[in-house]
Parts: sequence; C-alpha cells; structure tokens
Amino acid sequence: MTSPRAIVHVDMDAFYASVEQRDAPELRGQPVIVGGHPTRGVVLAASYEVRPFGVRSAMPMSQAVRLAPRAIVVPPRPRAYAEASEQVFEIFERYTPQVEPLSLDEAFLDVTASRSLFGPPAAIATALRADIAREVKLNASAGIAETKFVAKVASDFAKPNGQHEVPPGTAKAFLHPLSVSRLWGIGAKTLPRLEGLGIRTVGDLAAKSPEWLELNVGSGAAHWWALAQGHDERPVISDREAKSIGAQDTFEEDVLDKASLKPQIHGQAVRVARRLRKSGLKARCVQLSIKYADFTLITRRKTMPTPSDDGQTLYRVAEALLEALPLERRVRLTGVSAQELVSEVPAAQLGLFEAPAGPSRTTRLNEALDRITSKYGSTAVATADLTEAGTADEGDRAMFHKPKRP
Amino acid sequence: MEFRIAADELKKALHRAQGIVERKSTMPILSNVLVSATKAGVSVTAFDLDIGIVSEHPAEVMKPGQVTLSAKYLFDIVQSLPEAQLTVKKLPNNYAEITSGSAHYKIVGMAPEEYPKLPKEESATLVKLSGATLLEMIKKTSFAISTDETRYILNGVFFEPREGGKVRMVATDGHRLCLIERELPGDFKLKGGIVIPRKGLFELKRLLEEAPEAEMSLGFAENSALFKKPGLSMVMRLIDGQFPEYQKVIPKQGERRLLIPRARLFDALKRISLLSAEKSHAVKVSLAENQLRITAQNPDLGEAKDDLDVAYRGGPLTVGFNARYLLDVLGAVEADEIALELGDEHSPGVLHGPGDGTYTAIVMPMRV
Repeated sequence: MTSPRAIVHVDMDAFYASVEQRDAPELRGQPVIVGGHPTRGVVLAASYEVRPFGVRSAMPMSQAVRLAPRAIVVPPRPRAYAEASEQVFEIFERYTPQVEPLSLDEAFLDVTASRSLFGPPAAIATALRADIAREVKLNASAGIAETKFVAKVASDFAKPNGQHEVPPGTAKAFLHPLSVSRLWGIGAKTLPRLEGLGIRTVGDLAAKSPEWLELNVGSGAAHWWALAQGHDERPVISDREAKSIGAQDTFEEDVLDKASLKPQIHGQAVRVARRLRKSGLKARCVQLSIKYADFTLITRRKTMPTPSDDGQTLYRVAEALLEALPLERRVRLTGVSAQELVSEVPAAQLGLFEAPAGPSRTTRLNEALDRITSKYGSTAVATADLTEAGTADEGDRAMFHKPKRP
Repeated sequence: MEFRIAADELKKALHRAQGIVERKSTMPILSNVLVSATKAGVSVTAFDLDIGIVSEHPAEVMKPGQVTLSAKYLFDIVQSLPEAQLTVKKLPNNYAEITSGSAHYKIVGMAPEEYPKLPKEESATLVKLSGATLLEMIKKTSFAISTDETRYILNGVFFEPREGGKVRMVATDGHRLCLIERELPGDFKLKGGIVIPRKGLFELKRLLEEAPEAEMSLGFAENSALFKKPGLSMVMRLIDGQFPEYQKVIPKQGERRLLIPRARLFDALKRISLLSAEKSHAVKVSLAENQLRITAQNPDLGEAKDDLDVAYRGGPLTVGFNARYLLDVLGAVEADEIALELGDEHSPGVLHGPGDGTYTAIVMPMRV
C-alpha cells in the first residue's frame, strides 16, 4: 500500500458487564460476572473490578465463582447488548462508512479519508469515544495505527477507557518489546516452542529470517514475521463491500433440541437482513453454521430463487437447513450468514413478465420496521418468538457470542 | 504427422477457433485445438463441450496424423511467421515442430486421443438458407438476450419456424424483447421453437459475416443445432427449457403513435443519456403537442434536455426508459423513420419500422 492508512480499532470495555453496571446503579464499582448457570455455564463477561481475582471471559462459571466468591453474577440480557451495540455502530458511521464489525463490541474503522473532515486519526478516536460515553454511557478504548494488526494491539494496550496511537513509521518500535503471544495465531501450543528457540518478544521473532522461521517453527511463521515487521496489508472491509454478512452467537449452555435453536437463528437472520438493507444489498444464498459442544463446525448453504434482504425469508431458509440436519450432539453455537451478495438495481426497471406493481408488501413492511428501529432501537418491534427469547428470565437461552481474536 | 499449409489458411481456422476454446477451463485440453491431417487436407477442431467447430483447409499432407496444441499460442505464432507457408510436424511426446523460413518452434502439445469427441449429428435435417437473412435476424435480436445466468432460458434466442416458410426469432432479457420474422423456407422438422445459446449464436454470426452470400445450411437434431458451409461445420447444444410465452407481452396497438426520424432520435438519446445515471441509463421521454422531449437528470452531474418536432396530437405523457434499450433498437434498424407507440407510464413502448409488422421491439418503462 503506497499512501499511509489511518486505522482505528475500537473495543468496548468489558462490554456486557458495563451495560449491566450502567443499567443497575447498585452494580457500579462491584465485581460483576455476566454468565449463566453457576455450575455448567461459562463467563460471558467480567467487570474490571473482578478481573484482579483472575476471572476472565470464556472461563467455566464454577471456576470463576471459586476465584471470586463475592462476585455478583448477573444473567445475560442479549437484547440490551444488541441495542447498545447498534447505538455504538451508528456513532462509528458518523466518522466513516468504512466500518468492519468484528463482533457486537468491536470494529475496525478506516478513517484515512475522514481526516480532511474530522482532523487527525487520534482526534477522531477521541471524538467518537466521547460520543459513545455521552450518548451510550459506556467506555470504549481505541488503538490508532497504519495497519489493522497494530491498531488492535494498541487498543488492548490502551484499556480500560483509553486510546493509544502508534504514529506512522513507529510500528516496529511499538511492537518489538511486546510478548510474541500478541501476534495473531500464537497460542498455548506455539508459545513454548518459540520460547524454546529463545523467541520471547516480537522483536526476537522479527530478528530471525522468515526462512529460518519456516524451517524451525512451521509454515505459518512467515506470516508472523510479516506482522512483527508491522506489515499488514489487509483492508478494512465494510458490510457494503463484504462478500458475506453474518451473525453468530454462542449459547450460554449447550443446547440439544432444535426448538431452542430456532429463536436464536431467527434473531440472527433478522439482524443479518437489517445489515443487508442498510448496505443496499441482497443475498442470493443463506448459510447456516452449527458448532457442536466438541467444537466440530458444520455448515449448510442454500441458494434462493431470488435474492432477498428480508429477515423472515432468510430465516425460513435457515430453518429448513436446520430441519434437514440430524442433530446428534449438543450445540454450542449457531450462525446465519448471507452470501453471494448483489446490490439492488437503483432505478426501478419494470419487467415484461412480472405483474406491474409497486414495492412488495414485504419491502414496505421492512422499510417501516427499519424506520422504527432507527428511532426506537431494534427491540421496539420483534416477532413473538424473539420477544420470548430476548427477556432475561428463565426462558432466555440465547446468548451473544464474544469472539476471540479474529 | 507432417503437413505444409499456407499461413493464411491456418490463420483463418484459428481465428474461427478463438471464440470457442476455453481460456480457463477445468479441462486444460479444451484450450487446445485438435489439428488433424488426412489425405484430404487439414482440419482444425475447437470444442468447449457445448459448441464445436471443424474448419477444413487445403494442405500438402506428407504424413497423416493428429496433434492438439494451444489455440492461443498457435494463433499468435501463425500471425507472426516470416513466410507465407509453414510446415507442422509431430514429434515424440506430443510435441509439434513448426517451421517457416528461418523460424523454428517446438511446442508442447497434449495427447490427441484425449481430445473430447464432438457429437455426431447425422440425424439432423439440414435446410439450405440465406446467410444474409439469418445474419440480419441475429443482428436485430441478439442484443436483447439476457446475460443474467439465473434466467438460463433467456440466455439465448428463440428460433421458431412459422407457417408459409417463415421463421421467427425472439430475444428478451425480461425488460425488453425483440421479435423478427423473415422468409427462411425449408422444413426444419421442429415441433415448436428451440433456444439457441448466446455464445453459439455469436459464433454463428461471426461465421456468417465471413461470407453472408455463401451456400450454407442449418438443421436440428435431438438437443443440438448443426450449421454447415463449405469447409466448415459447427455443432452446438441448445438451451433446454420452456421459452416464456412471448406473444402475451406484445401489446395491442398503443394509444399514442408517432413517427420519428430514426437518426434524429438516436442522436438525441445518445447525447441526453450522457447525464443519466451510470447503471440505469434512465431518460424521460415526454410527449406534448407536436413535440417529443428527452430529459435526463443526475444529482451528481446536472440535467439535460433535447426537443424533437414530431407530428403528435394526443394528450401529454412522460415515460421513463433505459436509453440503452432504445438505442440498441435504433442502431439495429436501417429505416429512415421509426414508429413509436406508447400507452401510459407503466406500459411498454413499442418500436418498429413504419408499416412493418415483421420486426418489433418492446421496451418496458422505468419508474422515474
């Protein structure tokens, strides 16, 4: 890439826990764990007050409760998080259309072209964090750099409620003292091997040659070497340019029966369709992903006769795909993704073989729903199955997923 | 195998093959041509599993045999040889040697036994026809063929023999439709019509353009079409399925009917559509007494209008059209005047030569 880019990575601080603390004053300043069943569930979020006890998200609840016996455990309220997330993403869009969502609470923003309007990237990060604090009453941290990778590391560095800029040309100086475990894809397996080779910091790895790394570590190592040099050419891909738009959520507890999966899949289809409409896209193809408790992932896809941006249509396809599946094991995660996206024809060319008519009832209904959503939030109108699933009482089994590093 | 041939002859064969061979095929041999030398001469075959042509050429054959070589490289080579003649000789391991004057090539080929066999269409009843008429029919309809692969049946032109030795050809992309009827006497032994695929039709057009007056014949068998002219035969698979009932969408005579100088309308649409939206090419056609106005608006660019004097006495009307659809038709016909019939803003516009019912173009409006 010739001209330097300006990428901002925004990550909400302890997102679910912060939403709970925002909505319930008695939780503020308290150690809060958002999670489900005290023995079988996992930690979905941990407030900053509980982190010194060693509680981390994705940890089994039983372990978390042992580590922090005085922590307040709160059941998750997915709809509240979804709503806060939409508000946050709306703020992002004020500063750039180049927003790549990573999850409900995390996104990359390419603000290269926004600088002439809003000033230097650090000022943009300050402004949008202030907007989030003022309007959504939540804290966000931001990393600013020339590449996605460095921006992401920088936002982690800035947490909580801070921002860190890595100015152009200083990526190496920033990265090299950090632990190699900061590089994407270096996990519990690779780390000891690298340490055995005397590689502890990103700088240690950068000092080797890519050939040496391939030979001694494996074929993925050249990629880490490039990251360690501060090279990461991957563009920020907004929904408008994305090849697919998807939503996926992990269940709070693994689920076996199809009936419990359906409301979650329905909610995902509705969310995906809303994002399609926002980007003026339609999908030719729907893909359903199911991850079993043992982490085996299966995907099934189906092409629709005509491209659609309607949530109910996408759901009916996903539901049919689910019905066709023999579900033998407990399910940990479901995902719905819209694929083979096509942009809508801007002006309405009438067809010879179709009955002449205005926009279909579905289109008009979705337009109305989108207007309500933009004014009152995504929870204002929902189908009955989603209303049931979205409340925080016992019927609530659906839970949003907080993904690991991309 | 070894033969000596005029470079121009081989060039002609390879030119014919270029449109058919697949550049990026899962079967690498399909980017090759099959060169066969027999006592009768040399033939060059190109085949993409749907369309195949065999082009025959005189040559001095020293030793019969076959090779398959890259259609692209062979064409490039034959176009840049120093002499008017060349010698092609098969070497071991499917290599071929090409010699022309001082130039020398040794080219990698593939085993000719692996080249897929073209379907033999001996059952086809071939009908002798006028190439010029068939060419006119293709030229006046093919632009309306759909390129949307999901509307498979519309990716070709409907060929329908009618009573009295006439043949109708219809093409549509669902937004516009072109219909032409011409004398093409002979019994094609068809029940109803068939659909000739776009790619095959364009290859056929190229072959017809080589020499429209030459003797040629066309026939159908099973699910394929066969075309022959001296030194060349072509076979193609037809599109399977039911072509839409096109008669139903042809409107009765429109309420508003006017005659417009064709070139004047063509030029006006062209200059005004410069400002229409890039994708939709939308222009507005407005009728008032003795006047036809074409306008275009684009929020990013501005607006444009052009007025034409026409003999018109009906009420005012504004209809939106894709200018390209109208331009395609106006560019394909030769008449000095074109008749335009309009209903209302949701009804199709109909274009045809004045007093000519044998060529009709129907264009659906746009909501503007």
